[in-house]
Amino acid sequence: MKIAWGKAKIPDLAAIICEHLKKRGIEATLVGGACVSIYTKNKYISYDLDFVTENSLKELAPILDELGFIRKDGRLFEHPECGFLLDFPAPPLAVGNEPVSKFNSIRTRRGVIHLLTPTDCVKDRLAAYFFWNDRQALEQAILVAKDNKINQAEIAGWAVKEGATEKLKVFQRKLRR
Amino acid sequence: MLESLLGNRTIERILFFLETYGQGYPKKISRVFGTSVNGIQQQLKRLEDGGIVFSSLEGRTRLYGFNPRYPFLKELKLLLQRAIKFLPDKEIEQYYRGRTRPRKKGKPL
Repeated sequence: MKIAWGKAKIPDLAAIICEHLKKRGIEATLVGGACVSIYTKNKYISYDLDFVTENSLKELAPILDELGFIRKDGRLFEHPECGFLLDFPAPPLAVGNEPVSKFNSIRTRRGVIHLLTPTDCVKDRLAAYFFWNDRQALEQAILVAKDNKINQAEIAGWAVKEGATEKLKVFQRKLRR
Repeated sequence: MLESLLGNRTIERILFFLETYGQGYPKKISRVFGTSVNGIQQQLKRLEDGGIVFSSLEGRTRLYGFNPRYPFLKELKLLLQRAIKFLPDKEIEQYYRGRTRPRKKGKPL
């Protein structure tokens, strides 16, 4: 199947990458802003796709090269025709101090995307708000929480464990509006 | 102290430095330990790629600190704090007792 990299949208790209890596025996999970884009149907647009995998960058580089993605710097890969960067943050896959144990799969015309659940996507964005005081991340968490079925009790329990009770209240207040 | 666990002396020194001072930039860290800036930059990059530290630009200086999103940060810091307690007094005095309180512009050191 020919891929028009310049026109590919986030769900297409995510599925292409997940499927290609899976064919080579690598399981990668989409995390970060690209999950927000997918769960909010592009109300927020990310310009990179973050995947977490236990495999090393040395293993990934030749496999991504088959698709035309070249290792740029550190953990980043870029494609000459694609406007999105691929980033492979270091494992483990975690939201705050908690390991991620549940995942979601979304079927697209390009294949299946393996990604965080909406609940963990909200936690992932809230972690950025808790630790960096990033208001954009808070807004993204709210967008995902409003557009998807999430487990609010689980998020509240996690936030308390992260020591972010006050910021949790800000999130809950904004979510009710 | 933790050199064999962390892989090399430079990493150990960087982590002790960040645990002591909270943040730092390559030139300052290299000056404290009398090592090359390049060596410090390489190891900071390694730590950043591993998600253990983060960096941000402050003016023209790239500042490094512990990444609060690193899932083992609490445990790592506890280990570093414990290891620092075992450092010889001379080493603590030489590397980890630098002035951190502010100094008004123009005042002599």
